[in-house]
Amino acid sequence: MNILFAMKYRPNAGNIHAVVDYMRVAQKHGHNVAMYGLPDPTWVPEARFSTDVRSFDRLVFLTESELWHFSRLGDVALFARFPKRHRLIFDMDGMYNPLLVVDGYDRNHKDEAECRRWIEYCDVLSDRVVKPTLVPSSNPRVSSLPIYGYDPALEVDVATAPAKEYDILHVGHNWWRWREVGGQLLPAFERIRDQVGEIGFVGLWWDTPPSEGGEAGPKAAFQADPEAFRRLRIRTSTAVNYTDVIRTMSTARINIFTQRPIIHHLRHLTLKYFEIFYADTIPLLMLDQDHAASVYGPAARELTLGGRVAEKLLDALRRPDHYRGLVADVRRHLAAHHSYDRRLQELVAAMRD
Amino acid sequence: MKLLLVTSVDPWTRSVSTVHKWVEAGRALGHDVAVYGDPYPELPAMRYTTDLSGVDLALFAIQVASDFPDMPHLARLLDRIPRERRVVVDLWGRFNDTIRLEHDFNHLEKLDGHLEWEWTEAFAAVSETILQPTLAPLRPGVGSFLFHGFDPGSVVRPYQTAREAAAAWSEGGPAAKPFGVMYVGSNWQRWEQVRTFLEQYGPARGEVGKACLVGWNWDSRPEWAVQQGIMGIDTDPALLAELGVEVRNGVRFDEVIGLLGKARFAPVFHRPLFRHLGFVTVRTFETFYADSLPVLMLPRDLVKAVYGPAALALVPAADVAAHLRDALRRPEPYWDAVLQTRSHLARHHSYAQRYQALEELVKDRRRSGVAR
Repeated sequence: MNILFAMKYRPNAGNIHAVVDYMRVAQKHGHNVAMYGLPDPTWVPEARFSTDVRSFDRLVFLTESELWHFSRLGDVALFARFPKRHRLIFDMDGMYNPLLVVDGYDRNHKDEAECRRWIEYCDVLSDRVVKPTLVPSSNPRVSSLPIYGYDPALEVDVATAPAKEYDILHVGHNWWRWREVGGQLLPAFERIRDQVGEIGFVGLWWDTPPSEGGEAGPKAAFQADPEAFRRLRIRTSTAVNYTDVIRTMSTARINIFTQRPIIHHLRHLTLKYFEIFYADTIPLLMLDQDHAASVYGPAARELTLGGRVAEKLLDALRRPDHYRGLVADVRRHLAAHHSYDRRLQELVAAMRD
Repeated sequence: MKLLLVTSVDPWTRSVSTVHKWVEAGRALGHDVAVYGDPYPELPAMRYTTDLSGVDLALFAIQVASDFPDMPHLARLLDRIPRERRVVVDLWGRFNDTIRLEHDFNHLEKLDGHLEWEWTEAFAAVSETILQPTLAPLRPGVGSFLFHGFDPGSVVRPYQTAREAAAAWSEGGPAAKPFGVMYVGSNWQRWEQVRTFLEQYGPARGEVGKACLVGWNWDSRPEWAVQQGIMGIDTDPALLAELGVEVRNGVRFDEVIGLLGKARFAPVFHRPLFRHLGFVTVRTFETFYADSLPVLMLPRDLVKAVYGPAALALVPAADVAAHLRDALRRPEPYWDAVLQTRSHLARHHSYAQRYQALEELVKDRRRSGVAR
């Protein structure tokens, strides 16, 4: 099957890495996966692009938190080539849902009107919406597929890992993360700051909000406290390309995994769920234990922070071999249950008539 | 036939007049015709619909990218009307290799963000049948369909004889015909031709009367064109002032014919790209509705093929001034050419004939099972 992804691609955000993995695995199975657009060797060297819509049988709209448009002529070529039954939507950020507000903080839509527009738009695009979750949907239009996968070949082993610059690292943008970071991580860091080495946050908007102002999203989504970061001697650095994420994570003994509240509420998986286990690091997860176990297997229960952030961080730093054992168990589970070969088969099955 | 016209219509530009005629003539012929979209208050006579049931043919009349509907209307349209019931009329020569002539072009990314491949991919994805308003399309596989047409009922003063026409035209005083020459159309890729015309008209200006250019950007080169380095929107205010040319802003489509009748002569220019491709435009035909003598600044072979041989008398030889002076001195042969041309256009280029050609095209496609 020849599958074309229509998506906004950014080398330092979003889902580009997962799509590149599909491209790589697809060839092995006699399929062909590309992204719609002109080749972009500067930004995304490994990705395959195509504008030859006639070479593809199926179209996947990978949507995040905005309805991404191509040019008018691009839309014409795509919609004229692919009938509705051959189009599929991947709803990565849970926008194809009723208006949801989590704890009065994070939300999937600004208001009901935007929510209605979004759903109407998606219903025109395709009859089928796929969500990246293990949880089944009661909506007959919606199917659940993990979408993301795990490829053991990308694991970084100790021998080739970069030198450790950090004890604790968080790789990800400051987009609806402040409730966890400000509410749980920083207080824990306060308690143990003198007992750990370097702490770092890699990603956008930890020092300053986006220059676009309100157009980038609600102010609350970018809340930060640079003064607290200075006081706690937390180093920040800007986002890295998707090709450098795993290596960057591998520069730390511990990587902390946080998830946007609405995405966590919906039990959506993200790329980071899998990337963090490629790295030569100990991932500590801000997830509830049952959810972690459902994705990663039982060993992951002990990798969750579970309200004991400071204690867990110190324990992982003091007993790295024990935690490395847990990580090895999780990696085996991921390789067995979440390979991209399996993901590709699921995708192809979902796209058959 | 239930015909859906897919295009954008703007009362100030492009093919709005032709689209009105398609709706009007189609309904008179018993067809169910409408433009896809929601009603537009500024065009009360236009019929719009978003009902896609039972459409026999969707005719995409494309000049600019925004002639295609925006999402989600675009997806609804393409999902509901199968490819074999769609036809693209490529009114601006987009479905060709990239062409550069003087400053004119058919694709220019810095103007609209689109490269050649985007146009050709989009057109080919919409339909197997791509038509162009020329008698001889350059690209193999492209069909000839002039789209624009002539409606005899729109002739402002349908004279019976050349003598009558010439007399009325000659006797019209300054109140009826305050201008000697009027061109209605925006300054887009036509300056070189307009300048040449005006320079040649100059010596006869006293006898012919004042010239007037009606349209956008004749007074100065617009700032956006300067900023983007878009050529082909040149002008020469000093020359216009020297020749006493009046410049007015653009008018709505339904004011064009009345305005042209305020002048003795109405030149017809085609932009370089269209001359090269042999394209016709709305103005090719509607200038003959006006109570004015058309001056056909067009290639003679195109004039003969589209307007008929009589219209060659309306093409100036080398000297525009001599042509205008001669028409003033002995208008009857010129009006005879106009009446013969109107008759030719009515016989060969009416909207009824356009519909007939379209229906034959649809039948041919059904017979040959195109694009299943």
